[in-house]
Amino acid sequence: MTNRIQHKLFVTFLVVPSFLILFAVVFYPFVYNVVISFSNMNLRHIKDWTIIGPQQYIKVFTEPTQPDFYTIFAKTIVWTVVNVFFHVVIGVFLALVLNQKDVKAKPLFRTLLILPWAIPQYIVALTWRGMFNYEYGALNLIITKYMHLPAVEWLKSPTEAFIGCILTNVWLGFPFMMVIALGALQSIPHELYEAADIDGASWWHKLWRITIPLIRPVMIPAITLGTVWTFNNLNIVWLVSNGGEPSDQTHILVSFVYKAAFNLYRYGYAAALSMVIFIILLGFSLFFMKRTRATEAAY
Amino acid sequence: MLTPPLSIVRRSVSCFLLGALAVGALVASGCRRPVNPNHIVIWHQMRVDERVILEAQLKRFMDQNPGITAEAIYKETEELRSGFIVAAIAGQGPDLVYGPSDQVGPFEVMGIIAPLESLFDPKYLDNVIPKGLTYFKGHLYQIADKVGNHLTLVYNKALVQTPPETDVELIEIGKRLTVDKDGDGKPDQYGLCWNYTEPFFFIPFLTGFGGWVMTDDGVPTLDSEGMIRALEFIRDLRDRYKIIPSEADYNIADALFKDGKSAMIINGDWSWAGYKKAGIDIGVAPLPKIVSTGLWCAPMVSPKGFSLNANVPEEKRPIVLTLLRFLMEPEQQLETARALSTMPTRKEALNSAFVRNDEILRNSALQIERGKPMPVVPELRAIWDAMRPGYQAVLGGSKTPRQAAKEMQALALRKIQEMNE
Repeated sequence: MTNRIQHKLFVTFLVVPSFLILFAVVFYPFVYNVVISFSNMNLRHIKDWTIIGPQQYIKVFTEPTQPDFYTIFAKTIVWTVVNVFFHVVIGVFLALVLNQKDVKAKPLFRTLLILPWAIPQYIVALTWRGMFNYEYGALNLIITKYMHLPAVEWLKSPTEAFIGCILTNVWLGFPFMMVIALGALQSIPHELYEAADIDGASWWHKLWRITIPLIRPVMIPAITLGTVWTFNNLNIVWLVSNGGEPSDQTHILVSFVYKAAFNLYRYGYAAALSMVIFIILLGFSLFFMKRTRATEAAY
Repeated sequence: MLTPPLSIVRRSVSCFLLGALAVGALVASGCRRPVNPNHIVIWHQMRVDERVILEAQLKRFMDQNPGITAEAIYKETEELRSGFIVAAIAGQGPDLVYGPSDQVGPFEVMGIIAPLESLFDPKYLDNVIPKGLTYFKGHLYQIADKVGNHLTLVYNKALVQTPPETDVELIEIGKRLTVDKDGDGKPDQYGLCWNYTEPFFFIPFLTGFGGWVMTDDGVPTLDSEGMIRALEFIRDLRDRYKIIPSEADYNIADALFKDGKSAMIINGDWSWAGYKKAGIDIGVAPLPKIVSTGLWCAPMVSPKGFSLNANVPEEKRPIVLTLLRFLMEPEQQLETARALSTMPTRKEALNSAFVRNDEILRNSALQIERGKPMPVVPELRAIWDAMRPGYQAVLGGSKTPRQAAKEMQALALRKIQEMNE
């Protein structure tokens, strides 16, 4: 056997396991999902399902569910935009503060600020749910006792319940952006700021002309990821609102899919809806990466 | 444009094909684990204190049956249900699946559990009370080791000497025990509480006012006078008589009772041991009678037990049944009953001195007798789902009981149609 063939075999041997894993956990489930999205698979047809064409997709867009697809989609966009906006703003702000030379006990603050990220989401969600209780929750106690304002019906009213979910997820999500932004900030050469100081640039100018352009290549992929994760974040909405309560008014698309698939056994419909979500996210990611030229070098 | 060298393209293609071939082989082989004929797996959703007892019983079983191993795996109720469906459809899953009887309906429709009647001697089955045997479409699909899973009125004996027998007494006692101790205008102790986000806890009121969830054929009956009056009654308990908190889910209601901040709670047999452990001297009473209808508030009653995975091969079934028989023995059931006040299903255990003389179990048996069997049809799932929004909307003040009842019915019909399409 020649060295060349031996080398080829060796390379193949190294690559095949990763291909196998990719096939098993990505390719096969994805194709299977596409197939069942065109099928009638549900409680009554779980073993004997047949391909019925695009009917499930038509149902996704036309079925008069309560709330309907468009309302849930609009809510999902609000959920994603508000969450990612606050994740980035709070995360970058805290990273800027922690990046200051004269901040003492940086490691301690960094650890404290990362804590929300380190606690399991399940625990976070249920703790926040307890804090939203009308009579005994910490939030209403603060609002009524110290701010002398009327108590808020966090979990009973659809808008307040949705705000409650957003508050929980903002608290949970900013540490990720902070860590990413901090890493990006630390990689900016200090000479750039020194040169700007010599030119008499203000703090504001330095932020807009040096800091933000240079952390952008790192932040854009992080924002893209954050958007996809937030769009698909089932845990918080499901656990804080207890499965879309009140009256199924706090659903986002992914929690609606979960309910269709695992509560009502509508596998074909849920698969079609999850394909719609996939296409929305794929389109968004490609568009966002292209528009922001995130893959281009900063220097 | 940078073009990759041809060799890299070829190599990638060959790797891809090789991978596809390997995955194909994997899929073709069905990804099946070899069946270990002497290892029995149970999936269950038992809470911690039940699990401890189950583990001890399995250990005893293994000691008595050398060569056979048994493993119990806990899954949360919903996770168990969806996980078992996925596993069993793929030809896998545990040998026995344990849970409440309402999972029998969907599992049977999907064909993932096996009928049990031919695997047991009729004489053996005669030793189990009828409520412990879940038949669906003429076949036995579940054998229960506990019956109940039912709601009762649990009261704190330090605050309530005699539990209410009617709704009028309930309101009267509730008013007396709802107390604003510090004078801040907010009660520090409530007369009654329960989880009023879940419609399961609403069923006793629905039945008390003469309503029910569905006909025997599985057609929803939610738009009824009984439903409207029951919804009005609950709203009145909160807004007119002010004897229940304005908002309570399971955890809040549970914590209020454990902290002595609620004199009574409507909760199930699963909660009693926890209250005793929290140091509350509890009494258990049947839910009260609604004076205007003359009907008892009847909770749903369901057995909890074992079903056999349809994928268990014929040759393995005898040892799986050996374990099932062991777990169903009166001694094992009594062990759980003594520790957790659960209601056994073997006649011998039910007739034991302990069960007959225990005050909690006596009242529990009375409540079971007055309860209504939980339907096992899959449509129940759609009915719960349809009740939740309307029930919560009435409590949230955004809908009237009449509107809510009408919408519940329409939603239930649509969801059932969607499920069965």
